[in-house]
Amino acid sequence: MANYSEDFTPQEMIVVAGSKTLIDNKVVFAGTGLPMVAITLAQLTHGPGIVPVFEAGAVGPELSRGLPLSVGGSRTTYKANYLLGLNSAFELTQRGFCDFGFIGGAEIDPYGNLNSTMMGRFPEDYQKPKTRLPGSGGASDMACSCERTIIIMVHEPRRFAEKISYITSPGYLDGSPNARWRAGLVGQGPYRVITTKAVMGFDDETKRMKLIATMPGETVNSVQDATGFKLIIPDDVYEFEPPTVEEVRLIREVIDPQGYFVRKKIKE
Amino acid sequence: MIEWTGLSPDEARQFLANKDKSKRDKRMSLKEAVQKFVKDGDNVGVGGFVNARQPVAIVHEIIRQGRKDLTLSFASAGLGPEYLAGAMALDESKNSIKRMEFAYFAHEAFGISPLLRYLTENNKVELEDWSNYDMSARLKAGSIGIPFIPCRSPLGSDMLKTNRAKVIDCPFTGRPIMLLPASHPNVAIIHVQEADIYGNCRTQGPMFTCPEMSMASAHTIITCDRLIEHDDMTRFPNRVTIPFFSVDAVIEVPFGAFPGNCNGLYYFDEKHTAEFRGACEKLRKGDPTPLQNYYDTYIFGVENTTELINKIPLSQIQYIQKIEPGIRLDAGYTVLG
Repeated sequence: MANYSEDFTPQEMIVVAGSKTLIDNKVVFAGTGLPMVAITLAQLTHGPGIVPVFEAGAVGPELSRGLPLSVGGSRTTYKANYLLGLNSAFELTQRGFCDFGFIGGAEIDPYGNLNSTMMGRFPEDYQKPKTRLPGSGGASDMACSCERTIIIMVHEPRRFAEKISYITSPGYLDGSPNARWRAGLVGQGPYRVITTKAVMGFDDETKRMKLIATMPGETVNSVQDATGFKLIIPDDVYEFEPPTVEEVRLIREVIDPQGYFVRKKIKE
Repeated sequence: MIEWTGLSPDEARQFLANKDKSKRDKRMSLKEAVQKFVKDGDNVGVGGFVNARQPVAIVHEIIRQGRKDLTLSFASAGLGPEYLAGAMALDESKNSIKRMEFAYFAHEAFGISPLLRYLTENNKVELEDWSNYDMSARLKAGSIGIPFIPCRSPLGSDMLKTNRAKVIDCPFTGRPIMLLPASHPNVAIIHVQEADIYGNCRTQGPMFTCPEMSMASAHTIITCDRLIEHDDMTRFPNRVTIPFFSVDAVIEVPFGAFPGNCNGLYYFDEKHTAEFRGACEKLRKGDPTPLQNYYDTYIFGVENTTELINKIPLSQIQYIQKIEPGIRLDAGYTVLG
């Protein structure tokens, strides 16, 4: 029986779930923020062989010099196995060297399409948006060309919308058969969506989001209520196990003691 | 045909063919370099990545001199465009950004860009959104002298509805593929750790898109933390990331990327970045005074980066050097003045 934590935060739950989703010895292309925390946790627990790739150029570094504050910062480069620049990193994704892309966004639709560009009407208000977000960065490249994508989101109805303001990072597009292939994409698309309330995947046929597990303290209903579209609810939804005391300690004391990413809001 | 910003591929080829590519001493003052190579209306390639190796010293000098109607080209950046946007927000008649071709403008762990919101939500700047790979590949196309480059991402994204990418059926596989127009900025502004007097550059850590950006641009201004002997540079020829004939001006500016990170030399100065970013956020919310004070103190109130650094407590400078985890530079060279 594992020694479960009793005072974990929703963000710590996301990090632990994200970490558990990662598979040892896979190449993981990491976006900034919580994905970097989750990868570090996985390396310290079940996945010492995970190979992180950072879009600024670092491949397979040791993340033992402190949590990177930027995917281009010095901490991503310590003992890297290969270190060039952005083109070389993204070329790896197109070629098929990157098993997972690990990204976030401000809005997501049922097909796993993500928005990190703007809120408001598009294209009418593109040049004068209601709220401007930072932009794609490398997230859309990862969503397109890593073999699978893992997505981290804050779970709120307004962020889970049937129609989002702007598609920055393609998921299953309109959900029609082979939509990604027909668009010219090479990666297989979204694999998991990990939130403060649930872990979700996608239906093989319809490509719509389906519930896989609820986070501790959540129910199928509470998750559906926090989702702005109808989720597919299979019969075998289970409750995700809480973080252990050790996992929470690693996050708080070893990986992000200053709380750069874990205590802050996930993404504006 | 599309409308080219900066140089068209044919103009860029012609320009370089006629350029003096001799190996000559390119040292000059930063003032002179900006006067000579950055003009109103230019497309300016901003080197570095987010807040790492941002060309802050060059940007500050541009702001002191004042340049209008600039187009900024970059993949991901924070400090560089934020400083230019701040100068524009304070006095649009002196400095202004007309257009941005970019993928990401924010500060990662240090927060979003207040002035990207300010400029866009008030419709003060023309936007062309791309992905990081797109901007890098566009500069790569420019650097290798081809008018476009095929790319797979982000096919299916809304970015394609407002940028100049084209989707065609690949003539060889029949599947859709995206074509990106080359990017040829008028001038690239880049900070590196080491350069020699001819402009050869040796970078530490990720190269970002700096080599491609320099080789795609008509002109390149290089600031370096250290100017080193040419003989030391050529001890490791395959570590030269930007070759001399791609560079027009070399200026030794220690801490030229401050308050950003410069691999091997100094880490992010979080405290100073927060002071600047906080003042930007206040302007966005309607109070320009803190940002005006910041510019009066650290940009207009100084002549150069040395004077700026003199205003930062020594303990703060020592701290960002101490916590820098990048590999230290080789010490076996003579440092030139």
